[in-house]
Amino acid sequence: MNALTENRTESRKRVFRFVSTYGAIIGMISILILFQLIDNRFMRPSNLIGVLNSSSILIVMSIAMMVVMSVRGIDLSVAQVADASGVIAAMMIINKQPVWLAIAAAIGFGLLIGLVNGLLMSYLGIPAIIGTLGMMFVIRSVELTLTNGAQPQILFTLPPKLTSGFFKIGQGSIGPVPMLIVICFVIALIMYLVKDRSILGRHMDAVQGNVRTSFLSSVSIRKVFGAAFVISGLLASFAGIMLVSRSGNAVPRGVETYLTDCFVAVYIGTLVSKGRKFNLIGTVIGALFVGLLSNFFTLQSLGAASKNIFNGVFIITAVTLGTIRQKRKS
Amino acid sequence: MIHLDKSKVDSLKKTLFQRSTGIGMVLILIILGLRANLFFAPANLMDVLKQGSILTMIALGLTAVLIGGGFDMGAGALVQLTANIAAGIILAGFNPMISLAVGLGIGLLVGVFNAFLVTMIGIPSFVATLGTMFVLQGMTTMFNGGQALTIKFQPGFSFLGQGRLGPVPVIFVIVIVICTLLHLFFKHTRTGLRMYATGENPAAAVLRGINTKKYLIISYCLSGAILGITGVLQCSYTYGASAVTSGMDFLIQALSAAYLGSTFSKTGELSVVGTVISGMFIAALSNALIINGISNQQIAGILGLILILSISLTVINKREIGQVTIF
Repeated sequence: MNALTENRTESRKRVFRFVSTYGAIIGMISILILFQLIDNRFMRPSNLIGVLNSSSILIVMSIAMMVVMSVRGIDLSVAQVADASGVIAAMMIINKQPVWLAIAAAIGFGLLIGLVNGLLMSYLGIPAIIGTLGMMFVIRSVELTLTNGAQPQILFTLPPKLTSGFFKIGQGSIGPVPMLIVICFVIALIMYLVKDRSILGRHMDAVQGNVRTSFLSSVSIRKVFGAAFVISGLLASFAGIMLVSRSGNAVPRGVETYLTDCFVAVYIGTLVSKGRKFNLIGTVIGALFVGLLSNFFTLQSLGAASKNIFNGVFIITAVTLGTIRQKRKS
Repeated sequence: MIHLDKSKVDSLKKTLFQRSTGIGMVLILIILGLRANLFFAPANLMDVLKQGSILTMIALGLTAVLIGGGFDMGAGALVQLTANIAAGIILAGFNPMISLAVGLGIGLLVGVFNAFLVTMIGIPSFVATLGTMFVLQGMTTMFNGGQALTIKFQPGFSFLGQGRLGPVPVIFVIVIVICTLLHLFFKHTRTGLRMYATGENPAAAVLRGINTKKYLIISYCLSGAILGITGVLQCSYTYGASAVTSGMDFLIQALSAAYLGSTFSKTGELSVVGTVISGMFIAALSNALIINGISNQQIAGILGLILILSISLTVINKREIGQVTIF
């Protein structure tokens, strides 16, 4: 049966299947084209590279959130961990510690929180939403106490000898490509390999599908669930370091607004996959889309109000269309 | 020699363990109060009741949705919106009492909209209310132009937020009234109990013949109504509306109160009474800590630790994996 010989119903079904699978991406591309038509500065390479650069942080954080959500968890503390990691790195550099130590401390913090989260949710059995909510509060307090009440840790006024190595992360580049994009790409690639090709990734998919069955198939549910939180903490610390390195200062509680953007990115990501599952590529696309959206509204000098309304309407419409299509298919 | 009956000791231990959250709360407050006697001064206690009321009301609205099995990311944003609109109505010179009706109406509308998305279209409640949250935030900013709206003292209206009935703050009385009504509704009417059933185990509820969609709709509408009024009361309490639109702070505090309240029950069941006690406890704790000289910065952390500890005690016997079923 090929396109020449099929009848009308079959060809309608084929088109329908195509739209079902790729509809979300088509929709997003249409919106982007619309933006370009409204403002032709939008698609200029310099603008796009700028968006990619600044979205890299959201991409890494959204991947962190996605990993936890893909094992049926949630991590409300990712933004706070990123925030705190950045602050820790900044404080250490201000205190004249070597750059590598500052970065190691920040990453260590992320790992530590990830471990604590994993233990609390996975081994103690605290519901993920409550546990990560509590941890978010605890980390927030730690941060505020360390910085003496949310004092921004300013790095760009320090002598270059102390900070130049650190700033290479956020402001340097390899050839024509900004370092942030490279780091983000590497992280995304590694996480893709972990989720798609590694045993841990397979086990995560299993837990996402059916917990009971995975348990009976001797998947160590506790380890997988806990590992997701450890990964999330680690990635969050990366995001925090990237952000502080890029902006040259660490403003405590400045990252908290990223939390809702992470959710948006992850859920847009589910629209890209066939089974409406959480997936990495979709999440990256989602985060990029959020970044592009934000960029367009900034270019047009439309305030936060319009951006928020558009964001909300877009999410609702996109997920509605996605859900309706899914329902009609089954 | 005193002979202790073993079964009596065991049942005492069990009772202590079950009531551990409540006992813990009382103990903490007593210890903090003893360290700084100012805490127990009646004027201070009344202040605490006033301070905790708005948070508790938001938590009540959120609890209503959570009981039905849904989730509401936009709870804080809705409160901010109605607070701003109420302030706007008063600033425009209209009768302040209209703002109550308007707030209620807007809350109900938002509740219906959320319910529509979740039940009719079938979007996971998390995403649906996330989208609603963004829209509400945008509407609030559009309404107040990014500015804080402050109102002057309005005789009847400000009485709601700042007035007293005898020694007791009016707003606390409102909280108690709403809590009582909700408690009677949830625990003593068929509709309420069926809402519990829908939230606890939708599959079983459906098998039992319960129209889960209907009860989810009711829970969102109820919650929307409460949150709408809360915004208006917030406007009365703070003499206006703040410029911050995110309401995320409201949301996470309300979540803490609701989940802390769930630790009162053996099965971790949410309850309006538990929420009110927890909401008031959070306010009392902040107050007591500040009086004890502990800085503002550490309060959040202490609250987080208490939350985690209380949940651990509830969960430690069950030791399941802490998955989330909110999506």
